[in-house]
This record gives sequence, C-alpha cells and structure tokens, in this order.
Amino acid sequence: MLEVRDLCRELGAMRNRVLDEVALEIRAGEFVSITGFSGSGKSTLLYLLGALDRPSSGIVKLDGIDISLLDDDARATLRNEKLGFVFQFHFLLPEFNVLENVMIPMLRRGKRSRSECQRRASEVLESVGLGELLARRPHQLSGGQQQRASIARAVANDPRIVLADEPTGNLDSKSGLAVMQVFEHLVRAQGLTVVMVTHERTFAARTSRQLEMQDGRIIADIDQRDD
Amino acid sequence: MSRIVVFIALRQLWDRKLLNGIAVLGVALGVLVLIAINGIMQGFQVKFLDNILRISPHVTIFDKQLRPEASILTRYEDTFVAAKVAHESPSDRQLRIARPTEIVRAAEQMSGVQAAAASLVGSAVLVLGSKQYPVDLRGIDPAKQDQVTPLSAYLVEGSYRTFSAASDGIILGSGVASRLGANLGDVIVCGSGTGDRLNLKVVGFFDAGIPPVDNSRVYVKLRNAQVLLGKPDVVGRIELRLADTDSAPRVSDSVERMFGYDAESWQETNSNFLGIFAMQNTIISFVVGAILAVGGFGILAIQIMIVLQKTRDIAILRSVGFHRNDILVGFLLQGAIIALVGAAIGDLVGHYVVLALSHLKTHQEGLVKSEYFLVRDDPRFYWYGAAFALTVGLIASMIPALRGSRVEPVDVLRGQLG
Ligand SMILES: Nc1ncnc2c1ncn2[C@@H]1O[C@H](COP(=O)(O)OP(=O)(O)O)[C@@H](O)[C@H]1O
Ligand SMILES: [Mg+2]
Repeated sequence: MLEVRDLCRELGAMRNRVLDEVALEIRAGEFVSITGFSGSGKSTLLYLLGALDRPSSGIVKLDGIDISLLDDDARATLRNEKLGFVFQFHFLLPEFNVLENVMIPMLRRGKRSRSECQRRASEVLESVGLGELLARRPHQLSGGQQQRASIARAVANDPRIVLADEPTGNLDSKSGLAVMQVFEHLVRAQGLTVVMVTHERTFAARTSRQLEMQDGRIIADIDQRDD
Repeated sequence: MSRIVVFIALRQLWDRKLLNGIAVLGVALGVLVLIAINGIMQGFQVKFLDNILRISPHVTIFDKQLRPEASILTRYEDTFVAAKVAHESPSDRQLRIARPTEIVRAAEQMSGVQAAAASLVGSAVLVLGSKQYPVDLRGIDPAKQDQVTPLSAYLVEGSYRTFSAASDGIILGSGVASRLGANLGDVIVCGSGTGDRLNLKVVGFFDAGIPPVDNSRVYVKLRNAQVLLGKPDVVGRIELRLADTDSAPRVSDSVERMFGYDAESWQETNSNFLGIFAMQNTIISFVVGAILAVGGFGILAIQIMIVLQKTRDIAILRSVGFHRNDILVGFLLQGAIIALVGAAIGDLVGHYVVLALSHLKTHQEGLVKSEYFLVRDDPRFYWYGAAFALTVGLIASMIPALRGSRVEPVDVLRGQLG
C-alpha cells in the first residue's frame, strides 16, 4: 500500500542528509512503530510518508501514486482523503468544540452530508471514549483526552493510513497507555493501518512491526508476523 | 468557495470579537465620515446650483460680435495702404444685438432650446424718499422672460400679471426692497447716468434664495430699461432655457456659430464656483480616502497579528487537507466581512447624523439662504461607502491572507517538535 524507495531528504543551508536512501514497504493492516534517537530522522520520514513534505530524491508511492510528483493542491487533497495525522502536541482548533474538530476534515472532503459527518464524528469519538465530551472546547479537555480527540479526527475521514508522531510523548503514563490502547483497538477492530513514532520501548514492543532508525537510515525492521 | 471555509472564517471572526470589533469600528468611522462630509458638501453645492439654475439662464447670448465688421479702411488695403484711423475703438460703435426678434425666433427653433427672451442689462440708481440704492437693472419681456427664468415663481409679494400689464412697474429683489424700505405701490425714482429718469411703481418683490442676486437685482420692462439707459431699441442680451442643463456648453457653441455673437453657458458663467466645488470635492476625496485607508490599516494590523498567532492552526488545516486557496479565501472573507459590517454600521450612523444635521436650525446667508443646515441624503453615498469599504477591506486583508496561505505545515511542525 505504501512504498518507499531510495528516499533522501536534505535539510538546511548545509544540505544535511537527514534521510539517507530509505527503503520501506508498508502493507494494509500493519501497526508499525518507529523508534530511534532524537534527530535520527523519524519525523522527517513521517512527513514524507504523509505528503506534508517533498523528498530531495527517491519515491514515495501511496496506492501506486507517486506523492513526490504531485503539486501542492493535489498533496493537500491526498492528505484529506487518504491520510490521518496525530502529532505530539494535540493540534486541535481552539475555536471549535471536539465534535466540530473531528467533522472539519470530513466537511472539507464533502463526501458526506453535514448530518452524516456529525453522526460519523460522534460515533468515532464514542469509540475513543469521548462520547460524553462532544461539546467541550479543546482547552476544557485533559492532554490525554485531547490526544484521543486528535486520533478521532485522523480516523473519522476513513484514511488509508494514520501517521502518529510521538502521540504519547507529552502524556503521563496512564493517559499514554489509554492512547496506545485506542490505536490497538482501531487496528484490531477496523483493520486500520498505523505508523507510530515513539520513544516508549513498551509501546513499540506491542506493535506488529518495529522499525529502528539511526542517522537517517532504518537499521532494524522486525516484523512479528513474519516470525 | 466551499461552505466549510465560510464556516471556519465566521467562527474565527466571532472568536476574536474584540479585535475584529475594533477593525469594524475603524471602517465604520471612515464610512461615517464619507457620508457626513459628502452630505454636507453636496447639500450646499446642490442647493446652490439648483438656485442658480432656476434663476439663471442656461445660455446667454451677449452683444459682443465674434467677427466684428472690418474697419472700412481694410477694403482699400490692396490699393491704398499705410493709413489707420487713430483711436478707433469698439465703443465708437453701438454695442447691441442686431435683429434680436429674428434671433429669438431662430433660437427657439433649435433642438433642446425651450425658450428664449431678449433683454437689456445695465446699472441704475433707485431713489425712494431720502434713500438711494444702486441696482443691477434688467429690462425684460415679462412673458418670454418668465419662460426662461421663472421669475413669477419667486415672487413673494405682488403680482406678475400686474407687472406684465402695467407700463411702469418694477419688481425689486427682496434685499433691495428692505434696503430702500419700499412697499408695494410705492413710486420709485429710477435713473442712470446716460438716459432719462423714470418714476416706476413697485408691483412685486422676488426672493430667489441667492443673497447676491436678491440684494442687487430689479426687473423693469425692456422699453423702460432702454429709456433709462439711453439705448433706444437696443437689445443687449438674449437668454435661453434648455431642456437639458448639461447640454449648455454644446448649445452655446452652436449658438455662437449660428448668430456670430458671443454666448456663454451657465457652467462658464459660474466657472469660479464650479471650480471651487471641484476643488472641494477633490480635497474631500483625499480626506475620506485617507480615513478609509486608516480603517484599512486597522484591518491589516489586526489580521497580520491574527495570522501570526494562528500559524499553528493554519498548519493543522493544511495538514488535514485544506488548500492554500482555502486559507487565502478564508482570510479575505474575514476582511470582507469586517469591511461590510463596518460599512453597514457607518451607513446607519451616517444616515442618522445626516438626518440630525438636516433638522439643525441655522441662519445661513452667504451664497445660499437657508433656515436649516443644508445636507444631502443621497442613497448613492451609502453604496459608495460600502464599495469603498469593501475594496479597502479586501486590499488590506490581501497581505495577511497571502502570508497565511504561504504557511508550510512542515515548517510549523518542525518548529514545534525541534
Ligand atoms: N530545518 C532544518 N534544517 C536543518 N536541519 C534540520 C532541520 N530540521 C531538522 N533538521 C535535522 O534533521 C534531523 C532529523 O530531524 P527529525 O526528523 O526531526 O528527527 P527525529 O524526529 O528523529 O527526532 C535532525 O538532526 C535535525 O537537526
Ligand atoms: Mg521528531
């Protein structure tokens, strides 16, 4: 489903090679974790997988489409229709309540009517355990609740793949565990594909496939199901 | 423009009520000033021109020939030159319009000309008892003149019919009458340096609402003016009334070509006033433009601030699939809404200011006489206000909108995560 070949990314005036000829293939239904030291290029890889950034060279193919060849608008549309993001700092829009935050990507897509969007959003929020808090504004939620709302937003628009960059990095261990359980539930129950960058060894160990990065390269790729 | 973009723009506006409210007030103030100043200036100008146009002819033909008959000597130029009559001057010839009745009849046939009247203008002195007063004497044909400059409509006392019927009537401007202390029926001695004296009976007072005219002008019959001024049978002016006042310069040109006498449109006659008005209007445009521009800078400053504060939110929207254009349109929309709400408030308050001014009692007696403060409540001003505000709002929010649309989500994300 997601295919990466010879992927390089150079950043900054010094043209530092942050990603160095990365190759990777991710299949539908996988729960992939990426670990590695800070600065090893995990986020950079995630932004490229998520069509947020363009590679310096190499190919990122999602469902056979080479993302690096798409223009800005086409990548935005692709992100809307096929990708979901969860970041370390729960990026919710402060002017909108939780339900509206989850509805916004769906409304942008325009595939569902407003009432369908609303039904779908509350359904997903229910499944991440926020069914009671639909009308709250983001600042009225705890960090863990905000992060689960972000996951609901990423999932609600039926993405092909969800990309998460240290989703538990800013949470206490209890909330972090709850977030991890939400991901596990979505993968198991709905066949969602998830790529998650994390520092937590214990969480990485619970995923179906574990990648480790160092200096812009993937140095380990352990697939539990292959074993 | 998709509905979600509108939805987000409205919510973002509403969530920053205070800041956006300040921007709205800036625009409202600009529009208010536009309406109030224009109302005041136009109120005066329109009233003045209105009065001028009712009492003044639209085109005046003067007794000055454009191609004066050549001096007799030039006829012999080919054979007998080197001669010149010393002191030959135009005043040696009688200034007059030749064959005035024919010109009046011909002018009335011209398209766009509604009426024409011959008259003679000069200076005279009126004496009543111990008082004497110099006046601008107009000798007219009562019936015809009334069609050109509807004098009978301005008669505040007396009767125009009596003036037409009597052979020795005089109509005084209201200011002339009060300075002389004249009443209806008084007999006034009237003279000029050049002709005979006449005893004339006061048959009416007129008030045109223009103090310079009301304080100096008197009307007598053409024949009496000719006697008074010592110019028997002379016609010095032919005045025309037109269907369309804007056509006066054109009619004036063709009259000059047809009859060979100097003619002047009302615009030319009042060119000094029209020039002042044009200048006033230019200055007002600058002032109003400057105030609206300040309103625009308000929008600009506030939106730039919002864009800077909201780069994170823009990055979120971009990462969940919003296009650059959605962000651009969103901010432009906010600018447009600020401008239109400001314009609506400015229009509304402006309307009440104009209304209040028009009820303000003043005693105005300069170029125009009025009991009330002169303002004009022209619906076009409200549309101008809205249109200007919208333009200013869109231009002002263009910079923040472009800035916002150029936010790269990865830059924001890298900045956040280090
Ligand atoms: N704008 C930039 N200019 C130059 N170097 C950058 C820039 N952004 C990130 N880097 C470098 O790229 C490397 C990888 O960063 P990142 O992908 O964020 O690592 P990780 O997410 O694994 O911590 C780091 O060494 C970082 O210093
Ligand atoms: Mg990172």
